[in-house]
Amino acid sequence: MGIVAGVLAVAAGAFFEVRPPEAYGVCMACHGRDLVNWTINRFAHTHLTVAPASLVYPVLTTIGVLLGALLGAKTSGEFRWRSPDNSFKTFFYGILVMNSALLAGGCSIRLLLRAAAGEALGMIGFAGMVAGVILGTLWLRWRAAR
Amino acid sequence: MIAAVATLVIGVIVGYLGQRSRMCFVGGIRDFILVRDAYLLKGLIAFGITAWLSFPLAGLGVSRGPLPFALSDAITVVLTIIGGFGVGYVSTLANGCPLRQHVLAAQGTTSSIAYLAGFLIGAVIFHAWIAPLLFRMLP
Repeated sequence: MGIVAGVLAVAAGAFFEVRPPEAYGVCMACHGRDLVNWTINRFAHTHLTVAPASLVYPVLTTIGVLLGALLGAKTSGEFRWRSPDNSFKTFFYGILVMNSALLAGGCSIRLLLRAAAGEALGMIGFAGMVAGVILGTLWLRWRAAR
Repeated sequence: MIAAVATLVIGVIVGYLGQRSRMCFVGGIRDFILVRDAYLLKGLIAFGITAWLSFPLAGLGVSRGPLPFALSDAITVVLTIIGGFGVGYVSTLANGCPLRQHVLAAQGTTSSIAYLAGFLIGAVIFHAWIAPLLFRMLP
């Protein structure tokens, strides 16, 4: 999975015009942002920020991932409705993650992609993300241990 | 147009593989710390190494890349660290990176669908209010 995704992410930027900006092949946050803002711009005539790659037509990675995962879940019989977590809480987590991701200029995937492309800011952001994950995990463990 | 179609196809492939392999860019580090399970971490490392190897092959050496918005270097670095930290920390609390949440939502997990709603609304919030606010507050 990791190898295929890595090849696809680079190929998207190199051969399928998913740039500028550089190292933009796969990113759940930025592509979701592009899709939403493009749609709003289109119908409400606003001027929310959209990456140059998706000025004319938006990138559709998020929809593709949803369709692909739905396909995988249906074919393997893993699809079923359930709610393991409080929806209200995850809604806020979603807002927080999206804002942090746009601040850093990429979600976890694109931070790694940028670091792999040799971009200093990407490496800094990825290091910050790893620190965040480690602290978050320790916090979860500490809370579970109490 | 090519970009839109290509990303749709790539998204389907990544989504399918992500569903089959439970790929998660946050879960790898989390599982390794919690239970020393390196299965997801291998995917993360494989992604990084593959991308690192294929960027030179594809002729896309990036020296100075895109910034979220034009600010002086020190502030951009600080914002990137804060943003990266926020992504990691909150993703861990939310039980998965954005890719994993998309996959879970497609599997019928309602809390992940709520997460996606917040995710997409968050994009509008960021560009409508937070980015202009930062522009005004910072030099």
